[in-house]
Amino acid sequence: MFDIVLAPLRVAYMRRALAECVLLSMLGGMVGVHVVLRRLAFLTDAVQHAVLPGIAIAFVTGTSLLAGAALGALAAVVALVVLGWAHVDRDAAQAVIIATFVAVAVVIVSRRRGYQADLTALLFGRVLTVRRDELVQTAIVVVVSALVLAVTHKELVLLAFDRPSAIAFGYRVDVLDAVLYALVAASVVAAVRSVGTVLVVAFLVTPAATARVMIDRVGPMFVLAALLGTIASWIGLAVSYDASINHGMRLAAGATVVLLMTLVFVVVVATRSIVGRRRHVLVAAS
Amino acid sequence: MNADAPPTTRPDTDAPALRLQLVHAAYDRTPVLEGVTGSLLPGRSLALIGPNGAGKSTLIKAILGLVPLTGGSIEVLGHRPEVARSDVAYVPQADILDSTFPVSVLDVVLMGRYRAIGWLRRPRLADRQRARAALDAVGLADLAARRFGLLSGGQRQRVLLARAIAQQARLLLLDEPFNGVDATSTELILSILSRLRADGVAVVMSTHDLSIAHLACDDACLLNRRQVAFGSLDSALTPELLRETYGPSAVQLVAGSSIVTTD
Amino acid sequence: MSRLADAWHTGFFRRAMLEAVIVGLVAGAIGAHVLVRRLSFFVVAMSHATFPGVVIAAALGLGVSVGASAAGLVVVILVVVAGRRSDVAESTVTGVVLAGAFALGVVVQSARAGGARQLTAFLVGSILTVNNTDLVVTIVVGAAALAIVVALHKELVLSAFDRDGARAAGYRPLVLDLVAMVAVLMAMVVAIPAVGTLLAIALLVVPALTARTITDRFVVAMVLGAVLGAVCGGIGLAVSTMWRVAAGASVVLVSGAGFVVALVVRALIDAVRRRAVVQSGELRSPVGSPA
Repeated sequence: MFDIVLAPLRVAYMRRALAECVLLSMLGGMVGVHVVLRRLAFLTDAVQHAVLPGIAIAFVTGTSLLAGAALGALAAVVALVVLGWAHVDRDAAQAVIIATFVAVAVVIVSRRRGYQADLTALLFGRVLTVRRDELVQTAIVVVVSALVLAVTHKELVLLAFDRPSAIAFGYRVDVLDAVLYALVAASVVAAVRSVGTVLVVAFLVTPAATARVMIDRVGPMFVLAALLGTIASWIGLAVSYDASINHGMRLAAGATVVLLMTLVFVVVVATRSIVGRRRHVLVAAS
Repeated sequence: MNADAPPTTRPDTDAPALRLQLVHAAYDRTPVLEGVTGSLLPGRSLALIGPNGAGKSTLIKAILGLVPLTGGSIEVLGHRPEVARSDVAYVPQADILDSTFPVSVLDVVLMGRYRAIGWLRRPRLADRQRARAALDAVGLADLAARRFGLLSGGQRQRVLLARAIAQQARLLLLDEPFNGVDATSTELILSILSRLRADGVAVVMSTHDLSIAHLACDDACLLNRRQVAFGSLDSALTPELLRETYGPSAVQLVAGSSIVTTD
Repeated sequence: MSRLADAWHTGFFRRAMLEAVIVGLVAGAIGAHVLVRRLSFFVVAMSHATFPGVVIAAALGLGVSVGASAAGLVVVILVVVAGRRSDVAESTVTGVVLAGAFALGVVVQSARAGGARQLTAFLVGSILTVNNTDLVVTIVVGAAALAIVVALHKELVLSAFDRDGARAAGYRPLVLDLVAMVAVLMAMVVAIPAVGTLLAIALLVVPALTARTITDRFVVAMVLGAVLGAVCGGIGLAVSTMWRVAAGASVVLVSGAGFVVALVVRALIDAVRRRAVVQSGELRSPVGSPA
């Protein structure tokens, strides 16, 4: 049993995969908490699909996936803004963007022979083949996000809680919105190469959502979300490694991690619902 | 800006806290406010009265400098609205806020200090002390650590008032502050407001409850997309003017004092 | 063009065309309910969640539609139940369920070593391999979905616009919500063999959105959405054959192009209308304002 748990540390590629997942869990702790507070799960989903054509083009032309993803995110933002001017309902706009961007990606990729394998790689990611330089890129996104959030944290919380007052206070809420959206886009772009364009939402939202159900204070939510993500990553990687080495069963690594995160969420929600809500009387820390 | 720095505008009891001159505002070329004119001295309280859609919220937003005017001018504490914002506190209705949000009562009151604290810095001891003092002033000091959403409607409204007190504003803008508020909290809010007025704070509150206006306000502005009246309560709250504001069928005289019925 | 003429002579193309038109019609009509109930994210989640159902059904030797329906139902129940909690927003739960379900499908499929080709067929559809049985299933399920929304039309519209009013009138909004979601699920199950789980959302949202850009009236939008869906389905398939492009994706892109055209035309009409109103001096300019 102990062997299984330590397995991710033994092999170089597993260590890198774990490092990437830990970095992404930190993003989930920081940016993900704001995504949950602001109810931006759908936007995150839209962005993660929107980067698909950019990545597809980069993939097909052999250029930087990161640049392709970034361009895709930018294109999605522009499309969202334009549809907003046309007074299209935001919900519907995001769905349209998801569908058309994915269709574009499929068209691009399907021009090649044997495209099915490429498509699955784009969709499901390949966390086990993450490279050193990609780790560095993800780490940079984590550091930048931390810096930006250090400056804007309390203002973003105010904006999520009481938008009319934030406007009344004179905050440039459109700028603050843009900052948060940019952080979400950057996180998606960072995560999409390793876990694919459908599972990014899990890394950013699921641990933070679990933390939200467990506790009632924003501060501890950050730490708890990052912790939950890290633990799920470790166990998920260990399980998929063990299944493949000892039982001859190939379990996609990134997906196994996401499954575990979702399982934890379901268990926590079920426990809360059955046990009933405690009164959230906060211990005075201020 | 340092939390202990003096306010940007010096209170001068002769100069009006708010001066409105022929204020016109429009939304998409449709006029929503016309000819609003009047002033409010420090320490006095103005009731904004009118039916739904009359422009009460628009006027409040204009005083905050959030709505561009198509005519006229607004002077807040002797300055343009955008400049005076740090001395103006907006108190929304507590109902619009998410009651499941993970913030404590003290967190909410501290939000009033954010502008003064500035970016990047966290609230310091002086800020927390001011916030606690404000909570004490509204009688909720012992609930500082409780989650905001767990309080009653009236208590939450008092917390939002404490936030305005913590901001040390010279002008308060309240949006229907007594909607859904129980009798105890109503009385407390009324006494807090009169204490604030004694300190020289000017108050603007939108309301459709005339009895509240009589209890809490000195002046009244009647709006129905255009100004119907602006002056002391007695001069403004006459049956004729109220009929002009709400429509002829909506006003009934009961034992000499007007009662508005909205059909 | 000749490629198209040649294709028309083959049975599989004619079946695919019929499938495309029917799927477009059903999804385009039901899409009106998706829009008015703001179910777009829910539909995206459901389309992702049907993926594990499809994979597991294939593993068990069952039909794609069976797996999609079962998975879809589970998602409907999960989202409705978990979404009623007050501390996590419904959209947050939807996001969690979406990713978790998709991960389940990926894990199962990777364990099966089923091959990328089959997986892709689930994801982006394989309309050209539609057989007569599939066609019959499409017609029957599609007709049933349409019958539901037509029969309960006024109740569904009422509960969508005025939940409290519906409750006051004696209806159970939650039950009507479930009915609407099941009808949407049926439309999705019909769409999946044609355009795959990833793209099914497009047929449910884009033609309906185009219709809403053209008209404000719900019934007209439903009918128009159906027509647009059918037309886009047909044209998309034709384009795919002529230019040798993935069929499901072509249908989606044709629908998207139609939407953009409608938006642009609408914007132009609005601009012209506004000009006319101002020029006729209908709006009084405020006293004291500059000209």
